[in-house]
Amino acid sequence: MQRRDFLSSALALAAASTLPAARADVVSGGQPWEPGKASVPPLAAPRQGGLAFFTQAELDMAGALADRLIPADDLSIGGKEAGCAVFIDRQLAGDYGKGATLYRLGRFVKGTPEQGTQSPFTPAERWRKGLAAIDAYCGRAYSKPFVQLDASQQDDLLHAMENGTLDLGREVETKELFEQILANVREGFFADPLYGGNKNMASWKMIGFPGARYDFRDLIGKKGQKLQIIPTSLVDNTL
Amino acid sequence: MITRKRLARVATGSSLAALLMLNIGVARAAEAIAVPGQQNGTSEGVNAPATREDPAVTRGRYVAIAGDCAACHTDPHQGKPFAGGYALETPFGTLLASNITSDKRTGIGAWTEAQFTRAVREGKGRDGENLYPAMPYNAYVKVSDQDMHDLWAYMQTIPAVDNEVVSNQLPFPFNIRLMMMGWNLLFFDQTPFVPQPGATAQVNRGAYLVQGLGHCAACHTAKNFLGGDKAGAFLQGGDLAGWHAPEITSNAYVGVGGWSPAQIVQYLKTGSNGVAVASGPMAEAVTNSTQHMTDDDLMAIAVYLRNIPGSTATKPQPLAAADSVMKQGANVYSANCSACHNSDGKGISGIASGLANNPALESANPQTLLTTVLQGGRGAVTLSNPTSGAMPSFAWKLSDQQVAAVATYIRNTWGNAAPAVKAEQAAQVRQALQLPGQLAASNASH
Repeated sequence: MQRRDFLSSALALAAASTLPAARADVVSGGQPWEPGKASVPPLAAPRQGGLAFFTQAELDMAGALADRLIPADDLSIGGKEAGCAVFIDRQLAGDYGKGATLYRLGRFVKGTPEQGTQSPFTPAERWRKGLAAIDAYCGRAYSKPFVQLDASQQDDLLHAMENGTLDLGREVETKELFEQILANVREGFFADPLYGGNKNMASWKMIGFPGARYDFRDLIGKKGQKLQIIPTSLVDNTL
Repeated sequence: MITRKRLARVATGSSLAALLMLNIGVARAAEAIAVPGQQNGTSEGVNAPATREDPAVTRGRYVAIAGDCAACHTDPHQGKPFAGGYALETPFGTLLASNITSDKRTGIGAWTEAQFTRAVREGKGRDGENLYPAMPYNAYVKVSDQDMHDLWAYMQTIPAVDNEVVSNQLPFPFNIRLMMMGWNLLFFDQTPFVPQPGATAQVNRGAYLVQGLGHCAACHTAKNFLGGDKAGAFLQGGDLAGWHAPEITSNAYVGVGGWSPAQIVQYLKTGSNGVAVASGPMAEAVTNSTQHMTDDDLMAIAVYLRNIPGSTATKPQPLAAADSVMKQGANVYSANCSACHNSDGKGISGIASGLANNPALESANPQTLLTTVLQGGRGAVTLSNPTSGAMPSFAWKLSDQQVAAVATYIRNTWGNAAPAVKAEQAAQVRQALQLPGQLAASNASH
């Protein structure tokens, strides 16, 4: 370690240690409870026009990406129809997109794959820069934006990203961008519909996941049988 | 609680003398006694402090516990015992419970025993001014001379706390104490306690506690439109803000006639009895008062309650499980309720209320069930059940229709049977409790 590295990490440590320490509450007597109080899932409020973070063009592009990663087939609807882009849009406007729980004070050194993304950018910034870089690449290579490529061209591009053989410029780490897009699309496909994706619980119906249920005691003895549980969402007016 | 609409109806539609009309508001303040305050978070509750004096003082402390004086006359958040300041919110303004410590200036230290007795039993202040019936003197009038004397002996030992409380925070015209004269003329029955001839000493002891110190009728007897007790409806259930205090007579369908005396004692002593869990205003009463009473007294109360003639309510045929609302209710129940209350509706003893054959849930008025589903609830915290159980609010999760359907399902399953609940009833409760609507379904649609 060089002297400069040591000094700057010591500085970062000092900055981090001024953060408020987690404080444990001592509870005595009855359980803490207030009438009508509930911990409600955090949901980003969409801006006017229905989008929370993306521009319309970005949303369309995220939908096109989702549709190649999870194409519609005889098992389920595709990622776009399932609302993966809507899910991602809302997540990027919230704590996930802002990197609220990420350490981002630097310094940034490329780590091993196990160490995850080492980046000064928030997940939302990485999406925005990444989509712009992909479209810029498509403009150079195909003279079209990504959404206008045909499916096999889109697949080729995604394969190149996955293999790390595509250069998307200085600010974008291509392979990591691909992994982030894939992970977020999967999350949108399988998360509770409350968060904008997984339309009509399509993915849960596909894999037989029962959803937001809490009690399986009556079913525990039914081994080797098809249970046929109707999946349910956190807020579910089809019940 | 009286609603503005109801007040308007009374004000426009009747030719009652002005004095009488003004009385309505104040009379309704009587129900403030039933407005839930907050438990103070300890399993012992807001409690009368122990003293080390002569037997009269010890007996007097027990009288104070049975009368649950400390619950109202102590601010549960910072309060010194009996120093007052607990705000009773009424639709007509706020009444603050008075300082009844031995402080000479701000408490009752300068009062005479006669003045004290008159305040408790006749609702008159030190100078003979009318008290508001938020102070349940219409029940305390049944308290015996001996108990009054003991109570006075105890109250004099309460350490003086200098805490000026201006009890009457009501706006004009409800702040005119003289108006209570009319209410007293109409509804204040000054008859002292009369033992029932031929009844056992145990039943009469129970009657004495229930009618007098326990002031059970303050919540459990229906009120007429002026806030007086309805005739012939003693302990057959009453409505108060956000809750329906269920019938507690011998009626086996909606009362406590189906419970053994031991089950009633267990409920009052521990806050639950394997079927029901005390919550809402009753949780307070159990925490602060009944859990500290002797087993003999609780048994006397139980035996007496099971002797009171009940309402004529009889169990109807339950709704068919194949009914579409019942099916919806079953789905809502299985996804939201069964983890704690079980698919067989038996709950978890001491933690989650049983729903099967729980008479309070089958009352004609489903208010308590709706309030609990929408607002959540917490079981009574007692020395024998210090953790108790708590239920979260489902207002954000369920639509009015789903709340109504699950209430209908609960009221008509496992042997229960009661009229269906309508979505409008759930909507009214949601609005009255100022709870948020179901989380926008638009979040899930695209």
